[in-house]
Amino acid sequence: MKEIRRFLARRLTGRHASLWVSVIAILLMMITASILLLGMGKSPLTAFKTFLQGCGFLARENYGGGSGQLSDLLDFLNYLTPLILASVAFITAFKAGLFNIGISGQMLLAGFTATVVVGYNKELSPFIAKPAVLLIGLLAGGLAGALIGFLKYKFNIHEVVSTIMINYIISYLTGFFINNNYVDMMTRTSKVCSAASRLTLTNVMIGDMKCKIPLGLIIAILAALLVAFLFRKTVAGFEIKAVGQNRRCSEYSGIRVNRTIMLSMGLSGAIAGLAGVCYYLGYTNTIIPKILPSMGFDAISVALLGNGSPIGAIFAGAVVSIFQQGANFMSSSLGVAKEIASLISGILLLYASCGNYMRFKARRSLQLAADLVPASEIPGTTEKKEAEDDDQ
Amino acid sequence: MSEYVVEMRHITKRFPGIVANSDVSISIRKGEVYALLGENGAGKSTLMSILFGIYEPDEGEILVDGNKVTFHSSTDAAACSIGMVHQHFMLVDPFTITENIVLGIEPERKQLGFLPWVNMKKANKDISELSKAYGLEVNPTDRIADVPVSVRQRVEILKMLYRGAEIMIFDEPTAVLTPQEIDFLLQIIDNLRKDGKTIILITHKIDEIKRIADRCAILRQGCLIGVRDVKEASAQELADLMVGRKVELKLDKKPPQFREPVLEVEHLTVKNEVKFDVVKDVSFTVRGGEVFAIAGVSGNGQVEIADAIAGLAKAAGGTIRLNGKDITHTPVRERSLAGISYIPEDRLATGTIPDMTLQENLGLREYFRPPFSARGILDHGAERSYAEKLIGTYDIRCAQGPDTILRSMSGGNQQKAIIGREIEERSALTIFVQPTRGLDIGAIENIHRMILEERDRGAAILLISLELDEVMALADTIGVLYRGELLKTAPAEGLTKTEVGRYMMGVKEA
Repeated sequence: MKEIRRFLARRLTGRHASLWVSVIAILLMMITASILLLGMGKSPLTAFKTFLQGCGFLARENYGGGSGQLSDLLDFLNYLTPLILASVAFITAFKAGLFNIGISGQMLLAGFTATVVVGYNKELSPFIAKPAVLLIGLLAGGLAGALIGFLKYKFNIHEVVSTIMINYIISYLTGFFINNNYVDMMTRTSKVCSAASRLTLTNVMIGDMKCKIPLGLIIAILAALLVAFLFRKTVAGFEIKAVGQNRRCSEYSGIRVNRTIMLSMGLSGAIAGLAGVCYYLGYTNTIIPKILPSMGFDAISVALLGNGSPIGAIFAGAVVSIFQQGANFMSSSLGVAKEIASLISGILLLYASCGNYMRFKARRSLQLAADLVPASEIPGTTEKKEAEDDDQ
Repeated sequence: MSEYVVEMRHITKRFPGIVANSDVSISIRKGEVYALLGENGAGKSTLMSILFGIYEPDEGEILVDGNKVTFHSSTDAAACSIGMVHQHFMLVDPFTITENIVLGIEPERKQLGFLPWVNMKKANKDISELSKAYGLEVNPTDRIADVPVSVRQRVEILKMLYRGAEIMIFDEPTAVLTPQEIDFLLQIIDNLRKDGKTIILITHKIDEIKRIADRCAILRQGCLIGVRDVKEASAQELADLMVGRKVELKLDKKPPQFREPVLEVEHLTVKNEVKFDVVKDVSFTVRGGEVFAIAGVSGNGQVEIADAIAGLAKAAGGTIRLNGKDITHTPVRERSLAGISYIPEDRLATGTIPDMTLQENLGLREYFRPPFSARGILDHGAERSYAEKLIGTYDIRCAQGPDTILRSMSGGNQQKAIIGREIEERSALTIFVQPTRGLDIGAIENIHRMILEERDRGAAILLISLELDEVMALADTIGVLYRGELLKTAPAEGLTKTEVGRYMMGVKEA
């Protein structure tokens, strides 16, 4: 036990501390979920297995006609694609110290615009329609994001307030147009977009399986890599980070803070727009009026679990997607309500958000392990006290 | 009854990586002024935080009135009649003076016979009487936000008195005061001593110790170096003990070589957020090779002048010219490229991005141009070697080299990093605001030397400082700022410290 504590404490103060926070959060989540499932009289092992089976990571005992492990896996990726994008969008703004909770609205706006402009245009060939969808997604989302940045610097409206309001505006406005002009009388959702414009290829036969191929996944991974590059290697990325961490010092260093805020918010919105088209013209092919995609909020949690890193978001997105996507199969094979999946991701994110607490505890326990540890092995704490002393 | 009112025996306190106090024993007699002298990081504040219950010692014991006590919090310490005036005041700005003082121990009365109500009338009367009794006159109904620093300090002292403190700890009480206010405070401390209170004074200013203290304990690197009777020890001896080597109390300052005017400020007016003129019609000129110092009490518009020149604050009126070029409305980066370096007052809030690495902070003036970046792509290698060069040149101590997170460094080294970064630009004008605030003698000496080197190189120096000694030691020309106006501008050799102090209080012609 002591060794485990020691081991964890070291990992949590070491170089890959942020990765370990996520790993530990996942472990804790599994323990908690197990207790929960045991309490309901179900075997946790079977539950986790069925989650994985539902996502195509493990083979099921039997498959229905036209489906198989590969098609399950592709379904999973189809869901993952917009989630990665949405999460990368959140991170882009977050690095500038902006909390973009308007991703849902930006997704919806981009999805709606692309559906109306391209998706309902039956003549376009797929080679024109698909890039056009992406472009419109980028533009619509980007403009919505930049507007929030503009409101922030021009009128000093906090982005959380403006995004909440704009979320409602977008939701009701698009809902109004869908209900008036584009509604499918049978489903009460918007009419489906053309297959040519859809970013997910459906009904592709691989062997005897009907598969969906999410083309957007390439875009999502590219976006994550590009954003990672932006923050690691470019002047613009450095300026965004600087503004996010100390606005006053950024101004002092000559960074044009307002422009940087608009830029990061516009970029965030543009990526959210991509997420929107991958969701509404990919994962689904229709829009439910007046409903904001909950994915825009899940994205915040994914970003958190991925430790604010775009690459981390790919993996964190995968973990969260397993529970969301695998829920159906788990529910039907175990007879547990499907909502347990949301509960489990909720628990996971709760633990993930305790990251700072975990690190704090780890540092404390190393310190209490008496001064046996040479100071040089406790990074970040060495001169801290001195610094505080000086400031007094 | 013991001879000593407070005894701290063999106190050891460790923090990760450092020993803040190592086997320190001090004994304080009732009714004396006991000074704790030491540089920053010597462990004075830690030792007093232990006595005030903020930290618990790893080893050692504390005796109050001869009884062993254990403090788990400052509440426990207050119960033993120990009070502390922190360097950063612990006051609620929107509350009145009385409300601040009675906070937590409000006198109650029963409204309608049963509702507990704060008896503010009684509280106001009590505070008024208390303040008169000790010569600490304040208006109990003023709001903290509206009163100057010196009054806030009085409120802190009244707070201790109201709580019946017998042992009073003052943490660097004079750091924020003018010479006249310092005189007043020392007088108050003397009154308190006469009243039988025991005073512990934390300071690194030797002249104050000579003026007021009875005994003085010197701490260095967490260890007690010695305890001296102040009357028998010379200032030089105390300084040497504190630093641990011979110190030059005087600076070697060459006669000035003035050149062309570099900075010309004419009729500058700056407004704050509520459109109030914080700087009013200020005009002055700084020549190359000149140290122009602006003296003044904190909050009289100094920072705003510096911000306006650097481009961080908007000039509401007037013109600012650098080397003859009007820069009144140019953006910050253009100004810095045109030749302005700026060491701002607040190291962590303005001067650096504390959670970034030392390397990134050292590169803040350069990252956007070759060789540190090309076509928007950063070259981390070039930035790294630049950072390493600065670390060497300016002797910046950092645990993990350029990768050290700036926040984890000591204040002195943070300041060295900022000064190094700014001086390395070899600008025509360098603005120093409070460059030595919170630093110890060794670091101050070093920074003063750097300022004079810049001046001798031919740069124009605008020095803004609240430390009158610093102004007197470095300035070629002194301007005194009072309520946003430049009351007096004169060559430094024509002014005495007392005169400058008087102008700082707003007295026009003496």
